[in-house]
Amino acid sequence: MDTSRTLLALAVMGLVTFGLRALPFVAAQWLARHRAVAVLGRFLPLAIMALLVLHSGVGAARGHTPWPELVGIALVAALQWWGRNALVSILTGTAVYVLLRNYEAFQGTF
Amino acid sequence: MSHTPSTPRLSLLGLSMPVAMGYIPLGAVYGFLFVQAGGAPLLALASSLIVYAGAAQYMAIPMLAGGVSLGALALATLIVNLRHVFYGLSLLHRRPPGGLGRWYMVFGLTDETYSVLTTLPADTPPGRLVLLTLLNQGWWVLGTLLGALLGQRAQLSLVGLDFALIALFTVLTVEQWRSRSSSLPLWWGLGAYGLGYLLAPDQALVIGIGLCVLGGLHAARGKAPEEAR
Repeated sequence: MDTSRTLLALAVMGLVTFGLRALPFVAAQWLARHRAVAVLGRFLPLAIMALLVLHSGVGAARGHTPWPELVGIALVAALQWWGRNALVSILTGTAVYVLLRNYEAFQGTF
Repeated sequence: MSHTPSTPRLSLLGLSMPVAMGYIPLGAVYGFLFVQAGGAPLLALASSLIVYAGAAQYMAIPMLAGGVSLGALALATLIVNLRHVFYGLSLLHRRPPGGLGRWYMVFGLTDETYSVLTTLPADTPPGRLVLLTLLNQGWWVLGTLLGALLGQRAQLSLVGLDFALIALFTVLTVEQWRSRSSSLPLWWGLGAYGLGYLLAPDQALVIGIGLCVLGGLHAARGKAPEEAR
């Protein structure tokens, strides 16, 4: 990674993120006047997050059957739904996914 | 009950502890992946200092390593972090900190910080909100540093560690789902991406998000009169 280019990229990401977080504070009156914003606020985050799970899962499954992704996502969702501990959900799901993906490599060593 | 000077500071650390338990390890995984992808540890640190948005930071690792255009990176950040627009809305009626502190708190409004701030009583002194935000970012930066230093030394050829990002998206989906009255947005999001994928696999993300916005606007039109009473 080129240092100055990466720093520029990080600055852009930081600005976009800050802009999103600051918007309600600078445009509070405009946002409050539009009821549609409140409904969008309840609809969009869930729809886009579900879409991102699918998109990143499809991307990761390129080149093999999608079983590790399906098992991993289902496991994380179940753990988070009942356990509500994000760290446990993420680390357990990732560990199981890594095991599944590296299964053949592990078989060779044992 | 007397107000000893140590009480506020102690409970501030206590409030921040659950966040630390998540941020240190997840920050470490981030720093590790960043360095393994060919980035310098200082750049990983810079990312956690100036971007400070876990999901977007994870997502950007392959993009930064692959030299993607700034426009694509900005768009991807916008999509992943869009939910943050709606966080501030529920914090508006709080007594806001003044000056720089206020903008720092806005800057540091991550998922976790947001959820901690919403649990605090409305008359919480503004200074404590800022301090809590600062403490939380401190854990994230510390984790990033530890992971980046580890990643510099370790040679790990495991496939699939980047599943952490998908897992993070899944956790955020479950939490969004839990707080919704309807699961329609979930199915809409999945269906929109599926349709986009059938039409043009390479453009599925853009098509899917476009359809989500249309779905949201449609829901807004349907509910707006009822909301307005």
